Amino acid sequence: MHASYMETLREAMSMVSGYIYPNELELQWSVLIVLYPYITGLVAGAFILASLERVFNVTAVKPTYRLSLLMALAFLLIAPLPLQVHLGQPQRAFEIFMTPNTSSAMAMFGFVYVWYLMAVLLVEIWLDYRREIVAWSKSEPFWPKRLFYKLLTFGVDNVSPRSLAIDDKVGRALTVIGLPSAVLLHGYVGFIFGSIKANPWWSTPLMPVIFLFSAMASGIAGVLLVYMFLCWARDEHIEMPCIDTVAKFFLTALIVAFTLEMLETLQTAYEAEEHFDIISLLVEGKLYFSMIFVQMFMGSLIPMFLLGLCQLFELPEKVRKVFYSASAILSLIGILAMRWNVVVGGQFFSKSLRGFTTYKMELAGREGLVSALVLGFMPLVVLALLLYLLPPWGESAHRRKEPA
Amino acid sequence: MKDIRHLLHVAAAFVVVIIGFLIARHLVVPKSFGRIGHYRADAVDEIKALPLRYAGEQACAPCHRAQAKAKASSRHKGIRCESCHGALQAHAEAPSSLKPAKPKEGEMRAFCARCHEKNLSRPAKFPQVDPREHNPGVACSQCHPPHQPK
Ligand code: HEC
Ligand code: HEC
Ligand code: HEC
Ligand code: HEC
Repeated sequence: MHASYMETLREAMSMVSGYIYPNELELQWSVLIVLYPYITGLVAGAFILASLERVFNVTAVKPTYRLSLLMALAFLLIAPLPLQVHLGQPQRAFEIFMTPNTSSAMAMFGFVYVWYLMAVLLVEIWLDYRREIVAWSKSEPFWPKRLFYKLLTFGVDNVSPRSLAIDDKVGRALTVIGLPSAVLLHGYVGFIFGSIKANPWWSTPLMPVIFLFSAMASGIAGVLLVYMFLCWARDEHIEMPCIDTVAKFFLTALIVAFTLEMLETLQTAYEAEEHFDIISLLVEGKLYFSMIFVQMFMGSLIPMFLLGLCQLFELPEKVRKVFYSASAILSLIGILAMRWNVVVGGQFFSKSLRGFTTYKMELAGREGLVSALVLGFMPLVVLALLLYLLPPWGESAHRRKEPA
Repeated sequence: MKDIRHLLHVAAAFVVVIIGFLIARHLVVPKSFGRIGHYRADAVDEIKALPLRYAGEQACAPCHRAQAKAKASSRHKGIRCESCHGALQAHAEAPSSLKPAKPKEGEMRAFCARCHEKNLSRPAKFPQVDPREHNPGVACSQCHPPHQPK
């Protein structure tokens, strides 16, 4: 056993370069921790898109309103899973709530999560669907589903105009609270990284803001893509004014996110503190492909170029659809790469600033590729279930009256 | 009133959930939690009550004078007997109840290499050898008495 241990150590040592500390040999935050801010970001982005319609009365994006909420919910339900799988002790999550530790950022995040899920998202979706829920609870032929709706009515089937108007008001108020909550939710994820003083790749007060805007870009891209896909799958026509507006917000979020990232990079480069050498080696070496090519070129510049073209020129509908979906796919990949570059990239270099370790992703293990793929697709399965239970389309979907 | 009944029902559901949570918390959180710090204070007494497994070096000397004396003047003086022989409280209380472990001839080389294998991360002054080159095939103890290595 001893000899094999030394063999393992020898093999591991051949994968590192320069000087690293013994405890840096193994990279602790695996691909699952890459997935976690990615999924949370999609939640925040989708919700912020939904609130555009609700709070800021951007009526053009209405066809995506419910879809955004359902997407936010689907992704939110799965968001903690990568963390749980990573830690391997899921039952301990409840201890966060049972014996809260106020000095732990991760523990407090549990409360932000529950607040956002229970008090904001679920209630808002419920208020928005209440009229249909009441109708379905009477008309649904499949009894388990009818029972589900029945329970969701909370024993009241009053859908008088006044009660609906009240719902609308409460819903709007909730969104006003929900917006900062969504920002907090994702800002928090950035904060977790940004507040790690010891790591110069993470420690910047800009981190929450950068995370937030890239979250918006990814969430909007996600909704845009799912909306277009669903229209295509259901053989419905795509509301062009809607996706044109969504694309505009998408472009804005992309530009802001990219600019902030560039500002940060510029600042680091200009300050050229003692950690700059290792960081430039990192970016030119291990992260070259995933950062310069995938994140910046493919994930930001090309989508900005394509979306910019759509703004500058009167392109035909067909071309716009292709451009929108291409930009959405590219930036979804790019933002995943950005999470990778932050999470894994930040662990590549040693605290000594003199060496690098490597990350070899497992294939089948608990934190392996398969596990990451399953967790990554799970929100879509949940979304499919939600779409089945709470179909966002239908004649009464846009019942809310236009604001005066 | 009639038109906000559904909201009141939901609010009631929330209150029920919160009360349920508080009850669960009351039942689940150990009574002594938080009395001293952010942990279960009773754990301290429980750990104190665990049986001792290590006797400590002073316990060995009266019965194993030779080894203790040899080691005390050697460069292994800083290493406790139980680092090499395992936890021996039971043996120290009643020697025949537990026969202490002792590296066998065949395992000796791997055993000593645990601390003496050449490794860059060890202090340069620490005595280290490459077991693949240093007198291979012979047990270390043949040349270096473990209690008084030379
Ligand atoms: C009360 C006296 C006593 C104490 C205290 C004691 N031993 Fe022993 N030890 C003995 C006796 C007697 C034997 C011989 C038993 C046998 O051969 O079965 C023995 C045997 C051993 C052996 C095995 C020798 C062999 O050839 O297998 C080792 C090793 C050993 N003791 C280590 C220790 C260590 C280390 C301690 C301190 C933690 C310790 N002993 C404390 C009495 C004691
Ligand atoms: C560096 C590791 C090491 C330490 C420290 C150590 N021993 Fe040993 N001990 C050994 C080894 C190895 C043997 C077996 C020697 C052999 O088989 O040739 C041994 C054998 C023994 C034996 C059997 C008789 C003999 O001498 O072969 C006794 C008794 C013993 N040790 C007691 C002690 C006591 C008491 C201490 C603490 C004062 C102690 N040992 C510290 C490694 C150690
Ligand atoms: C728990 C760790 C450990 C184990 C196991 C261990 N040693 Fe040592 N050894 C040391 C330490 C510590 C020193 C003293 C280093 C110093 O003084 O700087 C040392 C010193 C030595 C020396 C150098 C003596 C000198 O004068 O240069 C020799 C030879 C040696 N040990 C042989 C052995 C042999 C043979 C074994 C196996 C029976 C063994 N050691 C097991 C830790 C260990
Ligand atoms: C055939 C006898 C023999 C055997 C077997 C043997 N050694 Fe040595 N060892 C020596 C001699 C002689 C020296 C001193 C001369 C030298 O450095 O080569 C020495 C020196 C050492 C030193 C001191 C090195 C220093 O820099 O002070 C250590 C440590 C050591 N041996 C450990 C071991 C270990 C561990 C084993 C078993 C894996 C072992 N020896 C097996 C004979 C032996």
